[in-house]
Amino acid sequence: MMEKVIEEEYEVKEEKKKNTLVSILHWIATHIKFLFIPGYLSEDLESRRAEYERRVSKRKFIRRLKSFLTLLGIFIIFFIVTLAVFAPWISVYTFQDLTGYPLTGSQWGPASPAHPLGQTLNGRDILGRMIWGARSSLTIALPALLFAVSFGVIFGVIAGYYRGWVDTVIMRIMDIFLAFPGLVLILVFISIWGIQIEYYMLAYGILGVAGYSRLIRGNVLQARELPYIQAAKVAGARDWRIMFKHILPNGIQPIIIAFTFDIGGVILSLAGLSFIGFGNRDLIEWGNDIAVASDRMYDAPWAMFWPGIMILITVLGFMLVGDGLRDALDPRMKNL
Amino acid sequence: MSMISYMVRRLLTLLPVLFGTLTLIFILSEFMPGDPTFAFLPQNFTLEQYLAIRRWLGLDDPLMVRYFRYMGDLFTGNWGRSLIVSQGAPVWDLVWERFPRTMELSLFSIIIASFIGVKAGVISARHRNKAKDTVIRGISLVGVAMPIFWMGTLLQYFLTYQIDLFPAIHFKTPWYGDPAQITGFRLIDSLLTGKIYLFTDALIHLILPVACLSFITLASITRQTRSSMLEVLQLDYIRTARAKGCIETDVIRTHALKNALIPTTTIIGLSFGSLLSGAILTETTFSLHGMGDLLVNAITRFDFYVLNASVFLISLTFVIINLFMDMIYGFLDPRIRY
Repeated sequence: MMEKVIEEEYEVKEEKKKNTLVSILHWIATHIKFLFIPGYLSEDLESRRAEYERRVSKRKFIRRLKSFLTLLGIFIIFFIVTLAVFAPWISVYTFQDLTGYPLTGSQWGPASPAHPLGQTLNGRDILGRMIWGARSSLTIALPALLFAVSFGVIFGVIAGYYRGWVDTVIMRIMDIFLAFPGLVLILVFISIWGIQIEYYMLAYGILGVAGYSRLIRGNVLQARELPYIQAAKVAGARDWRIMFKHILPNGIQPIIIAFTFDIGGVILSLAGLSFIGFGNRDLIEWGNDIAVASDRMYDAPWAMFWPGIMILITVLGFMLVGDGLRDALDPRMKNL
Repeated sequence: MSMISYMVRRLLTLLPVLFGTLTLIFILSEFMPGDPTFAFLPQNFTLEQYLAIRRWLGLDDPLMVRYFRYMGDLFTGNWGRSLIVSQGAPVWDLVWERFPRTMELSLFSIIIASFIGVKAGVISARHRNKAKDTVIRGISLVGVAMPIFWMGTLLQYFLTYQIDLFPAIHFKTPWYGDPAQITGFRLIDSLLTGKIYLFTDALIHLILPVACLSFITLASITRQTRSSMLEVLQLDYIRTARAKGCIETDVIRTHALKNALIPTTTIIGLSFGSLLSGAILTETTFSLHGMGDLLVNAITRFDFYVLNASVFLISLTFVIINLFMDMIYGFLDPRIRY
């Protein structure tokens, strides 16, 4: 009975293909992509691949990281770090060429063989400034955030573990810093100490402490009720050991994700600061380039375009990696 | 009843934040260089005049006296006169001239961004991994990573220079007058006094800055809504609702959305806070003379009275926004109210 139904189905399907030319073209169109993959047509390979996919564990962290966008993000970060570290070797022009006044005497020129992307103020090369600009962003963002993460984690773990008045006091202070307009703090630092890179790092570090301490405090509050912590206490472990050897490594996961997102955020902030004019003029910064070029936007739009693309790509790389890490660390298996 | 007590409790926890912020600003301005007395002195002043002005301003009083006078002045509206930014102008007038502009900009941006962002996040979560989802995720990723000032200059270049569609700078055409200052908000005032040409003019000038700001806020709201919606859609009660025969629209709108919106409300509140406290980049790009501009000028030129008043107003607005967000939390998740 079932075979009759299936035969009828197959007969119906065969009747539809009347025109042989159409059927030939249809076959070519569906199979042409396989011409480029050697050995794809083998059915045996297909079933073996399905078998492999079914059996391999989806819980491995590295497997879950292997999505296209995450790899793209890692590649972008690698690329930017290479640009930053090897800038003197990659760029044709030296730092003095790019911040001084070159001898050629032309300004705002369009793309030419000597200047692949064009020229900006005082004849400086745009491509060179893009390559060297990676240094300033990364050098300011990373130490600031490392400072923020270390102090944020310490304060958060202490607040979450001891509870009581320690928790209330620390969290109130962190709330104040969270509510505080960040730009005001940075500008106040600038007005007190002038434009110095170390104080930028300090300002971003102080502002970042609040967010990280809140993040890890949530995890610590959950973790300290677990039986293994009580077992450690019974075994005689001191508070510091429990805090920093047992609770902290298990609660570090949202911190890592927030760290990658915050690097992007700090780079954007720094570019914004140098756009308004509060960046260090001696350094090559992308925001400064955009500010300078936006005055001559109508004559030389390329000067404004390329530094912005670099900021976009850098921050995009960090965001992609952050997204990928968050999806890979997600305990729910269905989010594949 | 429980809502009111919940709001009072939240207010009591937010007031220390307000006081803490003001105290922090007071401490920081102790370290800032710049002497307010020079603004009140003539060209050739003597030492006695200098000391007299100092005593008149109250700069030699002990720390606690100055602190409480500072707090009292801020809360009673006695904000003094500006020193450098606009010499001699009362700070109250200065701030209230600029604050409504930033407020208009921020309110417009946050409302547009919330509506579009939540809608896009829900669509993206529903059609997961399909074409709509990929497109929305791509756009929101670009929006989160985009520097706002670069987007502003690009919009100015393409929409004002190439095609003359929107004006590039300022919040009004220079030779247009001002409507009567009833509320201070240009849009509302021009409607109230009946001058529609001023209203359309202000609206057209607002379009590009609002587009920039709302695109970037929208991106983070979409991402957050998408991820919290995905989490909620895997919970068991959603499966029960579908098994009971709910259509998909009802499942999302009636059951899932309220729970998914809780983290999103946090993001909206924080975004509004950052929009209000700055928007400085947008204001610099589009030459809108708003609060961010005033704040930057006040800090770098050591105009203490303007700085104190601006930060006070911004913190107060932040507290009010947080209270509003907490009220929305209480509405979305009744368990929080108790």
